[in-house]
Amino acid sequence: MRVRDCKPLLGLVAAVALLLAVAPVKAQTRAETLRYVTGASVNTLDPNVPGSTREAFAVSLSTYDRLVSFGRKQLNGKWVFDLDKITGELAESYEVSPDRMKLTFHLRKDAKFQDGSPVTAEDVKWSLDRAVTAPVLGKAQLLTGSLTSADQFKVIDPLTFEVTLPKPDKLALPNLATVYPIIINSKVAKANATPDDPWAINWLKEHTAGSGAYIIETFKPGEQVIMKRNEAWNRGTPEKAAFFKRVIVQSVPEPATRANLVERGDADLVIDLQASDVQSLEAKGTLKVISTPQYNAVTFISMNNRIPPFDNVNVRRAIAYALPYDDMFKAALFGRGTPLFGAEWPDGQPTSGAYPVAQPVKLDLEKARGFLKAAGMPDGFSTTFSFNVGQASTAEPMSALVKESLAKINIKIDIQKMPDAQMSTQINEKKLPFFTEGIVAWLPSTDYFYRNFYTGDQRWNYSSINNPELTAIAQEARFEPDKAKYEQDGKKLNAIHFAEMPQIPLWQPSQDAVMALSIEGYTYQFHRQVDYRDLSRK
Amino acid sequence: MIITTLGATVKRAVKRFLSSLPALFGVLVFTFLLMRVLPGDPAVFFASGPNAGKAEIELIRKQMGLDKPVPQQLVYYLYDLGRGNLGNSIMTGQSVTKDLRDRLPASLELTFSALLIALVFAIPLGVLAALRPGSLIDHGIRLFCALGVCVPTFVSGLLLIYVFYYLLGIAPDPTGRIDIFTSLPPSRTGFLLVDFLLAGDVSGWWGAFKQLILPAVTMALFVIAPLARITRASMLVSLGSDFVRTARSVGLSWWRIVVTYALRNAILPVITIAGIVFSTMLGANVLVEKVFSWPGVASYALDALLSSDYAPVQGFVLLMASIFVIVNLVIDVLYGIADPRVSVG
Repeated sequence: MRVRDCKPLLGLVAAVALLLAVAPVKAQTRAETLRYVTGASVNTLDPNVPGSTREAFAVSLSTYDRLVSFGRKQLNGKWVFDLDKITGELAESYEVSPDRMKLTFHLRKDAKFQDGSPVTAEDVKWSLDRAVTAPVLGKAQLLTGSLTSADQFKVIDPLTFEVTLPKPDKLALPNLATVYPIIINSKVAKANATPDDPWAINWLKEHTAGSGAYIIETFKPGEQVIMKRNEAWNRGTPEKAAFFKRVIVQSVPEPATRANLVERGDADLVIDLQASDVQSLEAKGTLKVISTPQYNAVTFISMNNRIPPFDNVNVRRAIAYALPYDDMFKAALFGRGTPLFGAEWPDGQPTSGAYPVAQPVKLDLEKARGFLKAAGMPDGFSTTFSFNVGQASTAEPMSALVKESLAKINIKIDIQKMPDAQMSTQINEKKLPFFTEGIVAWLPSTDYFYRNFYTGDQRWNYSSINNPELTAIAQEARFEPDKAKYEQDGKKLNAIHFAEMPQIPLWQPSQDAVMALSIEGYTYQFHRQVDYRDLSRK
Repeated sequence: MIITTLGATVKRAVKRFLSSLPALFGVLVFTFLLMRVLPGDPAVFFASGPNAGKAEIELIRKQMGLDKPVPQQLVYYLYDLGRGNLGNSIMTGQSVTKDLRDRLPASLELTFSALLIALVFAIPLGVLAALRPGSLIDHGIRLFCALGVCVPTFVSGLLLIYVFYYLLGIAPDPTGRIDIFTSLPPSRTGFLLVDFLLAGDVSGWWGAFKQLILPAVTMALFVIAPLARITRASMLVSLGSDFVRTARSVGLSWWRIVVTYALRNAILPVITIAGIVFSTMLGANVLVEKVFSWPGVASYALDALLSSDYAPVQGFVLLMASIFVIVNLVIDVLYGIADPRVSVG
């Protein structure tokens, strides 16, 4: 039957070959087109819409501009975003006042929206007002940079814009370079606003009104987005338009198919392959594989510090010494990432104030038994260990190893594999005792990590830790201008983390970008997606 | 005479349709409640940005209408439904009606093609097996069918992709209904094969056909078995019956005996099974849709289910139930054509 089917197909090969031979022009456009395939999908053109996906973020970075953007730097020979170097995007230049309470932006004189109208400070004001007042995602993000109210934004003249801060917050400027504070053409947006929807959220979900490097050609939610180059755009580093004339973002749910596509050269770039596929593609050497440890993300084994027996610090320590780290790292990630275990802390103190820092823990069952005894549970206990279906490819082999190893110290675990929505609900309700999860921060600074992931009665505090000292230091560090003192605070926080062991950092998985040999300029970005504007073809 | 038969058929069809309405309503309410009973709060899931807190969760809950009590939600849902509005999907950011309208033709086209391929192979295979029961051919066909059924569709799909796309390079890349660089024909029916023909675009049609053939064969492989087996069984009965013996004894040609007398009588159960197979395929082809990135309704519903996006799941179930009703009606009508006695009764 398969033989019969391929007969017409064979005839077709000849036809296709003929077509290709007479159509060199088409081949030319293929070289100028970037085809990016992904397992996820784009669901909105405005990244601010609640529920928008990471792929939607990536598209919005190309269709809109922000006031500023992050520079890039080399880290172990790979390009990554540079949090400390903030360059102008729509702003030609910016100044920070000596008391660091005022940011003044000078807009580019030549910047135009995609409809040809000039970008003015009025548009900037409307867009940022929208980000902090409308029911959008930008609100919670900008809050972390002390940007909370429309009163903070002031138009000085058509090309000058001023932001006032209540406190000298060092995250204010970086926040303006994140995904949400896009600058929207306010005239167009207002024309499409309704009394129920004064910020045009519904309209902007399916239309763009930006000044970005790419113009939307087709948008099929869940299937594909095709963008064409905005020839007038010159916000890239070398003062010229983006390289690719067209960018195709296509959803291909099956990871094996994505691997086939990029290997055969039909797709140019993919970042979400299975670790095993990446390894075999890398071995073949016909593609470029850039693996960057996601240094703003961490994978944990978390314990709910308020549910017995994990409310006992010695139980948590016992677990930390009973995990087969090396085997887990190999089975789950094929070793593709940065391990956060097996460190040496010479004097028992953290070696760095950065977060995360590799922990001085390794598999040591004797020590684990000792801690379990100290906890008054020498005979162990039973519990559940949960992970979500979306992470199954890494979490499944890992949890089998956790189960096997913990059984040796008489802790019996039941592995629960949960649909993603169910898992996030249970985490939000603080009902899971023992599970694996990951975190990511767009603006990875030590205080930010500790404030968001280790304080408060909120969802991202996976371990539900409530340590007043930790909370106080983290809050204080936020506004600490002195670098040496900040480092000291960081070390203190890391020391508390190790002493309390609220959750166990495992590793930072690598982002494996697999691309055709001709693709250049790939940069690991804070949003962990591809910024299409970075890329070019040799 | 014919008009009376036709009239009777239509009357019966309408009656059957009306009697299925309460069942449809039941399915509707059941799905609605089931989705809300399932653990997993969609608002929490969708508020997954790096800074999403309680405010974002509340916002999405309000957007989805989940802040109201369940009975009130149901009333609103039924009211919207009465106006042809199936609600909005958070996952795609579109209205469910639009999503389903865009995606249903893709699923239908794939399923029809697969069913056609399956029938074209299954009926002759079944007849062949019945003509020589117990022979080598019979066993060979049985083996082939067993293989088709026991290899899961995603395995056969990946295998076909591996051979025809990856190794031989004769199939196009398995990403959807059409090559990404080809422009779509003006949408008239939503069925690409039909739309391309209407637009007179032969190379476009060929392109869409090439994209379709692998997923359709994958699905067909899986359903050839039940169709071939039922054809064989019912052919055996038919071939052993008195009228075939009579036909043989009066010296009718072999072809006439097998096709006109035996097969026509044996085809009824095959039609029934084909109808059931069709409805099942439409919902169960999710793996094929995933493997071939086919933008169909089944993969849409699965994604929605995993993320607890209520409206698309409800819309999908309602759609499937309606299709099931329609397919049953069509089978009824086909029955009448295959066996006039049915509509008389």
